[in-house]
Order: sequence, then C-alpha cells, then structure tokens
Amino acid sequence: MAALHENGKILSQGACNALPVMIFMALGFAAPLLAVIAYSFMPPRSFGLTHTPTLANYADIFTSNSYISFGWSMLFAALTVCILAVICYPIAYGLACLFGRWSPILTLLFTIPLFVSENVRLYGWILFFIKNGVLLGTLKSWFGIEPESILFTPGVVLLGMVYVYLPFMLFPMTLGVSMVPNETREAARDLGASRFQVFREVDLPLSMPGIMIGLLLTFVLAVGAIAEAKVLGGQTIIPITHDIEIAFTYAQNWPLGAALAVLLMLVVGTLVMLVLKRFDLDAILGRR
Amino acid sequence: MLKTPLSRRNFMQRSTAFAAAMAAGAKFTTTAAHAAREKELNILCWEGYNSAQVLDPFRQSKGATVKAESLTNDPTMVNRLRAGETKIWDLINVNNPWARKIMAPEGLIKPLDRTAFEPYFDKMMPAFKAPYKWAMDEKGEQLIGMAQRFGPYCFVVNTDKVSRKTAEDQGWNLWNDPANEKKYGVLESDDWNVFNLCCIAGFDPFKVHTDDEVAKFTETAKRVFKGAKVVGDIATMNQSLVSGEIDFHMTGGTYSASPARADGAANIRGITPNSGPMEGGKGGIVWIEITSPVNNPELSPLATEFLHYVQDPKVAHTVAFAEGTFNPVAQMGNKACFELFSKEELDAIQWDSLEEEVARSVEYDIVPDYDKLLDIMTAAKKEASAG
Repeated sequence: MAALHENGKILSQGACNALPVMIFMALGFAAPLLAVIAYSFMPPRSFGLTHTPTLANYADIFTSNSYISFGWSMLFAALTVCILAVICYPIAYGLACLFGRWSPILTLLFTIPLFVSENVRLYGWILFFIKNGVLLGTLKSWFGIEPESILFTPGVVLLGMVYVYLPFMLFPMTLGVSMVPNETREAARDLGASRFQVFREVDLPLSMPGIMIGLLLTFVLAVGAIAEAKVLGGQTIIPITHDIEIAFTYAQNWPLGAALAVLLMLVVGTLVMLVLKRFDLDAILGRR
Repeated sequence: MLKTPLSRRNFMQRSTAFAAAMAAGAKFTTTAAHAAREKELNILCWEGYNSAQVLDPFRQSKGATVKAESLTNDPTMVNRLRAGETKIWDLINVNNPWARKIMAPEGLIKPLDRTAFEPYFDKMMPAFKAPYKWAMDEKGEQLIGMAQRFGPYCFVVNTDKVSRKTAEDQGWNLWNDPANEKKYGVLESDDWNVFNLCCIAGFDPFKVHTDDEVAKFTETAKRVFKGAKVVGDIATMNQSLVSGEIDFHMTGGTYSASPARADGAANIRGITPNSGPMEGGKGGIVWIEITSPVNNPELSPLATEFLHYVQDPKVAHTVAFAEGTFNPVAQMGNKACFELFSKEELDAIQWDSLEEEVARSVEYDIVPDYDKLLDIMTAAKKEASAG
C-alpha cells in the first residue's frame, strides 16, 4: 500500500513533478531491459514471452564454450583500458597544464575523428595495414622488403580498440587533471617533494575522479566492442557481442542472445559496482 | 481464458484484429486508414531494392512515401515478420525456400493474382517459365511471389593464384588441402557457411544428417575455421583477394565477386565446382530471390504496383546493378532487358559461364537440421579463436 505523504497526498509535490520523467524512463529504459531479461528465461528458439520460464539458455551458456568469447571481451577491454591509461595520462597532463593556447586545437584534433563513422575509420586502418597497402606497399616499393602482414591478428584488434576509445579516456582524464590546483603542486615542491612524489601524492589522488570515470567509461564501451574484431581482426578473436549478434540473427535464438546479454550486463555491472564501492563517486565529484 | 498462449506475434495479430473490428464500426476511421496506406509502402529486402535508383522513380510517379530496409540474411528478415512486424511491411524479398517453405505455410505472406503476374514469367529466362516452382506455394496452386535476381554461390578465387580450371576441378576439396591453410578467407554469411562445410565434409547439406555426418561436420568446421586467415564481409573478402592477403574465399559467387570485377579485377572469379556431393553429383548452389506481399492486415495497394514496376526492363536492369552488388536477373530472358546490359556489366556478372554454372548447381534450400549444425559451427569458430 502506498505510503501517504505528510500533506495527505499519496505522492509528494516533487514526486508528482518527476512522474512524467519517471514514466518515460520506465518505458524507454527499464521496459526494454526487462523484456531482454524475460526473453532470457524463455525456451530456446522461441519468439514469445508467455512460455513456461526455463533456465535452459543459461545452462546452454555454461555448458558451451561461451567462456571463450567472454574471456576475449574482458581481456581486450582490460588491455585497452590499461594501455589507454598509460597513453592518455601524459596527454591529459599536457592538455591541462602544459600546452597552453595550443590545448583547444589539440583537443579539437582528438575530437574530429569522432565525427567520422567508426567503421569508416576502421576500414581506413585496413587500407593502411593490408598487403600492398599504405604501410607494406611503401616498405616494398621504397626499401624492397616484404614483411608479413599483421592484419587480421589480435594485435591489430587491440590497436583498433585503443584508437577508437582514446577520446573516451582522454577527455574525462583531462578534466580530472585540470581539477588539481596548481598551488597544491607548488606547495608540495616547496616542501621538498620530488617530481615523482608530486605525481604520486598530489596529481594522482586529486585527479582520480577523472581517471576513474575514464577507466569505467572506456571499459564499459570496450567490453561491448564488436566492429574492431570483425573489421580489423577478421574474427580471429570472437567477442561476446558477436555471439549475441549471431544468436539474434543467423541462429534465430532470441532467448539465448538475451541470456548472453543479461550475463554480460551482470558481469560488467558487478565490476562497475565493485569499483564504485571502492571509490565514492559523490565524494570524488565533489558533491559532498 | 485464451485458447492459445499469448506471444508477441499473436498479440500483434489480435491487436490488429481488435483494431480492425473497432474500425469496422466507424467508417470514417477505415477510410482514413486506407487513404493513409495508399501513399505508403514499406519493403524489407536484400540490398538493391532499397536504393534511390530503384525507389525514387516509383516514389515520384506515385507521390508516395516508400521506405525500404535492407538486411543481409534471410533468417533475420523472416524473424522480423514472425515477431509481429507483418503490420509494418508490405513486401518482403528473401531467397527462394523461405517464401515457399517457411513464410507461406506460416501465413506470413499473401498470394498474388496469377492472371496478373504469371505473364511476366513467360518473358523471363527459360528456367523461370510459369508456373515457376519457387514462386508457387508447396501445393503449386498459389503464386506467392515474383522472381528477379539470382546467381550461383559457392566460392571465389583469385585466378592469378588458383586457376579457374583447378578450382572447378578440385571444388570443395580446396578446403581439404592442408597446403591451403591461412590462404583463404570465410565470408561472414553463416547460413551459407553451413552448406559449404557440409560440401567440404562430403555430403549433401539439404537433408537430415546422420550422427557420422554431424561428427564429420564438426571436425570440418573446426579445421576450416582454424585454417582461415580472415572471416569478414564482402568488402573485406574482395580487398583481401585483390591485395593478395588471401587466394580464395567461401562463401561467394557472382553476388560477392561482381563489385571487384566491375572495378576491373577480372582475376576475381566466382567458381561453381564441376562436381560435388549434392543431388545428381552437383557441386554448386544457386539462389533465387522471391519478392512477396506480406500478410499485412492493411496491405498497401502500392505493394502489387511495385511488383509490376520492377518487371519493367529498365527497372530490372537497375535492380541488377543497384547498391554495390551486381547480379543477373531473370528478366534478362527478355531481349529488351538484356540489351540494356553493357559488355562490362555482362563480364562483371560472369554472363559467359552463367548457364553452365547454374546447370552444375542445385537450388538453395532449407537445411532440416540447420540449428544443430549452426550451433556446432559457431562453437567451432569460437574454438578456433582461442588458438
């Protein structure tokens, strides 16, 4: 039974005002998720939602080799995040503290690729790496050497992921670094801290909000990546998103696809919650 | 209580029936609905029919809103209707067995007026003479769609690396030769890859398979995917063939090789094996697209008009060369249509060998144990990715 608000109404004025947004969120956000969850409990290769619920899809996943796809997705997302953290921090530091009036131009250069379709950019990399393409063709014609093509290998998939997700790590990180007051660094140096100590005890902890948001955002996006493995990797690795796509298309097995999607959401959600539990997002965002 | 369980599909059907009943009581509502659909047409199709070249003249002549969505495999398109989208689409264009063996029995498509449409078949190539098997329902009584594009579809070679004769003679055994490891690609066309793996394993795909055959299929799938250099789309396959990354790929044929050939790469050629494990010792498979009216409770009257429109020789030629992949059309049997094709266009679609390739092929069909074989193949692909 709904609790009465102190003024005698069922909902407070604030809740009433929020009701349209709540309904919109329920229909637009929660309903599709609930539908996916419901489908995951339907019998394999069925198309309705009124069959007797079953755990067959989950059993199928745990008895099949789906762990390979989960493993690839997690591994490549983790590697992408690690590589980007190392690459982006110095760039973010430069954009926030060193490059001065060049920073907006450099930021624009990092932003421009986002206006081009991801697939187009990945096909561009194919032309670069393919046999007799930009790289190998140039080496062959200029130096007469013909190294083996590295296209369609896991390494190129990783390169593609690092390239595609770089802005998603860089910009939150830049915001994080710019939140560190320069006076704090100067004070630390005045007190005799070395450059590494300033980095470890001032820059790193104080820019952690941006770093954390960059890490989480990049991981969540990278774990759902599919185009890099398909286009650059030639499916030498199969990410979990590919399994989901096959289940919904060629296999006509919506319940299996839904179960894979639910498991992916659970795994990613759990990891994100574990990280957020360790770091208080409200505190690092300065809300309290 | 409902006699049958409520599914998304029958929910839509019942909703439609309910809406129709409501509309029957209010004439103005009915009139408004029909008026709205008279200027609207929605087509679910393989690429080509969704191109501006094909649709714009029709839009302009009818003053209609024509929307077309292109997908790249038959099961997904049929799924969309099964999931309740019969209320959305007016025409569906899929490969031959799906109309006759799946959609017509499931009541997802409607028959056409035989007297209005059968005369077109008499102007098509001889193999399509009315009553054309794949355009008819299984009883052979109702016309369920119109034929247009078709083509043999097996594998593609770079003839500079593997000669046409070698490829045709060796056929599917190219994939059984260990020397070819990492020299080939696999098109991400998983339903066709099931057919091909059966052929490589040495048995007919279009029948129920024995346990021994399933075991052979499993072993073949693992080996073929492990030995593949790349699994990708048509653009990737053609680019890889032209650049020398790979020497040949499956699945492929006129449909996938024609863009590269049209671009001047005459050494890229779709191959139909001289022999194989299918009925009559045939080694190739040919697809034929069938376009059918959807069993939409408010089917647009433009659906049948569009089917008449695409039979026009000029439009049929446009369909053959629309949207990046180029294919022969049944209307090439009509001199007025055939003469619109230039020598370059005929070369692109391998007109020189089309007749003999079709003669060496069986027609695309449903694999009875497709689900099982696809699951095995998907698992094999994943296993290969694990190294």
